Amino acid sequence: MKKLLREPLLHFLVLGAAIFFAYRAMSKSTDAAPGRIVVTPGQIEHLTIGFTRTWQRPPSSEELEGLIRDYVREEICCREAVAMGLDKDDAVIRRRLQQKVEFISQDLAAQAEPGEAELRAYWQAHADAFRDERRFTFRQVYLNPQRHGANLTADGASLLAQLNQPGADAVTLGDQTLLEHELARATASEVAARFGENFATKLGGLRTGAWQGPIESGYGAHYVFVQESTEGRVQPFEEAREAVRREWANTQRLRANEQFYTGLLQRYNVTVERPSPPQLAEAAR
Amino acid sequence: MNRILLSTFPLTAFSLALLAVIVAPAFAADEAVTDIGTLDKESAGKTFPSKPPYSPYAGRNFPTRPYFGDTHTHTSFSMDAGAFGCRLGPRDAFRFGKGQEVMASSGQSVKLSRPLDFIVVTDHSDGFGFFPMLLAGDPRIMADPQGRAWSEMIHSGKGAQAAIEIVVNFGKGTISKAILPVPGTATYRSAWLETIAAADEANEPGKFTAFIGFEWTSNTGGNNLHRNIIFRENGEKARRVEPFVTMKPYGNDNPRDLWKWMAACEEKTDSEILALAHNGNLSNGRMFPIIESFTGKRIDREYAEGRMKWEPLYEATQIKGDGETHPFLSPNDEFANFERWDKGNLDLTVLKKPEMLEFEYARSALKNGLKMEAELGVNPYKFGMVGSTDAHTALAAVEEDNFFGKTSSSEPGADRAAHPFVKSADGKTVIMGWEQTASGYAAVWATENTRAAIFDAMKRKEVYATTGPRMVVRLFGGFDFEAKDAQNRLPAAIGYTKGVPMGGDLPPAPAGKAPTFLVAALKDPIGANLDRYQIVKGWLDAKGETHEKVYDVAWSGNRRAGADGKLPSVGSTVDVENATWTNTIGAPELISVWQDPEFDPAQRAFYYGRVIEIPTPRWTAYDAKYFGVKMPKEVPMTTTERAYTSPIWYTPAK
Repeated sequence: MKKLLREPLLHFLVLGAAIFFAYRAMSKSTDAAPGRIVVTPGQIEHLTIGFTRTWQRPPSSEELEGLIRDYVREEICCREAVAMGLDKDDAVIRRRLQQKVEFISQDLAAQAEPGEAELRAYWQAHADAFRDERRFTFRQVYLNPQRHGANLTADGASLLAQLNQPGADAVTLGDQTLLEHELARATASEVAARFGENFATKLGGLRTGAWQGPIESGYGAHYVFVQESTEGRVQPFEEAREAVRREWANTQRLRANEQFYTGLLQRYNVTVERPSPPQLAEAAR
Repeated sequence: MNRILLSTFPLTAFSLALLAVIVAPAFAADEAVTDIGTLDKESAGKTFPSKPPYSPYAGRNFPTRPYFGDTHTHTSFSMDAGAFGCRLGPRDAFRFGKGQEVMASSGQSVKLSRPLDFIVVTDHSDGFGFFPMLLAGDPRIMADPQGRAWSEMIHSGKGAQAAIEIVVNFGKGTISKAILPVPGTATYRSAWLETIAAADEANEPGKFTAFIGFEWTSNTGGNNLHRNIIFRENGEKARRVEPFVTMKPYGNDNPRDLWKWMAACEEKTDSEILALAHNGNLSNGRMFPIIESFTGKRIDREYAEGRMKWEPLYEATQIKGDGETHPFLSPNDEFANFERWDKGNLDLTVLKKPEMLEFEYARSALKNGLKMEAELGVNPYKFGMVGSTDAHTALAAVEEDNFFGKTSSSEPGADRAAHPFVKSADGKTVIMGWEQTASGYAAVWATENTRAAIFDAMKRKEVYATTGPRMVVRLFGGFDFEAKDAQNRLPAAIGYTKGVPMGGDLPPAPAGKAPTFLVAALKDPIGANLDRYQIVKGWLDAKGETHEKVYDVAWSGNRRAGADGKLPSVGSTVDVENATWTNTIGAPELISVWQDPEFDPAQRAFYYGRVIEIPTPRWTAYDAKYFGVKMPKEVPMTTTERAYTSPIWYTPAK
């Protein structure tokens, strides 16, 4: 129970519910009298601040009058619209309201400050998410299938033999290409971005220190010399802290949204009355 | 959450520095990895036996790979995105861009084929800041006695009491204005801070760039004059201002006022910002004016200077259609009829007239820019080109087989293609769901993946547009490129040494010489082969008339131009029913040197590259296959993806 009380999610839910009830109570008691609009000094101040922030200067007295006129107009139109029921059955307004409710639960989630222990536990439980990527240092020589046609395999075999001879100058062998000949300590995703996922995966299976191939990519056949390949380590907690916090917060946010909704849902008794299949078919026509 | 304001930069910078030290023994400092290999002294010496072998700048600091991203993603913070059902916010948009799987608003799991390198979240500044994000934790709020008190209450377990106090104070109008949770300033600010915080948190220098930005959505009369604003630096700077809106009197819908705001913003933040427009195709002749729609007068030097200073780029392709050119404007360009949205303005309240087109498309604007430059001494339309999505789903997902649509309601579903997208009031004119274009991305030749490097590359226009595929495209212009430069193993090194990259200006023409261009393109590693590389030239003749011509400069196979001067089609391997194609036609890469055969040193001109892929299935074909639906006859089922580079300009010496 003690643990439960410390649970941040519980805090959001309590806080959220409190806001709802208080809000509801307040909005009833402060409902403006019909036919009366008072623009308070506070509201005028807010209009002024809004203007100043966008224009980076205060409004002139003429502009301020304009702001007030617009505010009154907006207020009147909104009241009339609500009185006429224009806010009902409007998909845009309904979605906007739904969104506001979801913002509340997210904001409440955002208030929670994780403790050190909580972050460490998250880091331990999701170690793979904080692993550095594998890195490769390699060279590649390319054969363009369109230039070699049926001889691609044979040409590849003799290229490989040449490459593995002492003193071979790999830069001058194979076909010209815009692809890099050599990459130093490139992450697997960098390799994939340039050569494609397939190539990057196969690169991981090669031994170091010898020319090997062919390795297929979307461009053609590659002969590859892996000089170094380092497995990514899990980042120590101190190094990963910021990322851990980001991931933790994201998880909290998603959970808060779901739990908030689940909590609301429990207060409702939902009945879905389905039309018969012929009725549905008729409606869809 | 805002309180966290993660500063990943120092940490990452530190680990990068550490890395550099570790790597140093294996790779000496006088090596540089280029986009075609490591340039070390030995191989450079072979290429350039004379001394000095090449400029140290060219060898070490030029960009070796393009970074791909989206300058235009909307999230639930945009009023319209929320209204269409978007539930994902800026944090989700960045996560998705980093290649992580997220749950789309329609409840489907979605992931990119591979991560993007950068994202700019650009929510609409009007209506931005939906709901009071209570106690957002901004330092200013913490500095407020009331705010601090409530914050402390929450942290000492009295959250419920704090909530009640907040609501009571709200009702009485006694909430300190710094934290007032009503529609108006504080609300607005907290959404802006949330956007900033999401970007600062997601930004990982060297790995993924998350830009701070917003969209200024000038849309008076339904005519699209929208601009996206991108901040070069972090939240510490961006927090000093709030986005500019179009709603009067808070803001204005005239771009001149946006530029004034930008100038004030730069001063206040002591950092740089830039703007880029999009969807001239929905502006009904107002995007690239010669006669300004706001005054009815011919644009003047002040307009030209403002536009050139603040808007270095244009978003030439996106989901609401492609904006390079139009068949009406480019009747001799066989690839001009591509993903057209030319029925009217954004909300179809005014239908299109042919005379509007000239002032809507990138190519005709570049041409008119030459004309205006001759008249005003400044070229207002000297812009580079990028593509972006304008997705209102928080998902920059525009691959044909992974297209998540413009809005959350057009995420994959059996009926999305046949569902109307925009309808005119009388119902007679309709843009259908299938007309959405799965396009595009911005490719940026930056020296590294950081906010500063990518922003600076955007400012110098070293960028290109793609309609989705991540092809690598080079364009260099100069007066000394020779055919053998195209056989070189290090074309980029030669390109930077002997010429200027895309977005640059040619130097004055030496007597008797015509511009030469080194062009190269490499297909997307997991995409389709390339059909051809073309150069589009526009120029202004002695009579003040503009012209354009498209040249095929490199292509696959042994095709030869026919009697009409046109290269035969590359053909098609698309199997529409199964939504597949093969790379048995086209070429994985193209490289060539081309010289302008009709150069006149007295005439202003621009040259940009256009790379065309072989035909592939359009997203509608993937939909038809997956959902087992039959598309109406008029729905195109194949596409030819493409890239547009920023131009290189030539200006005669005075």
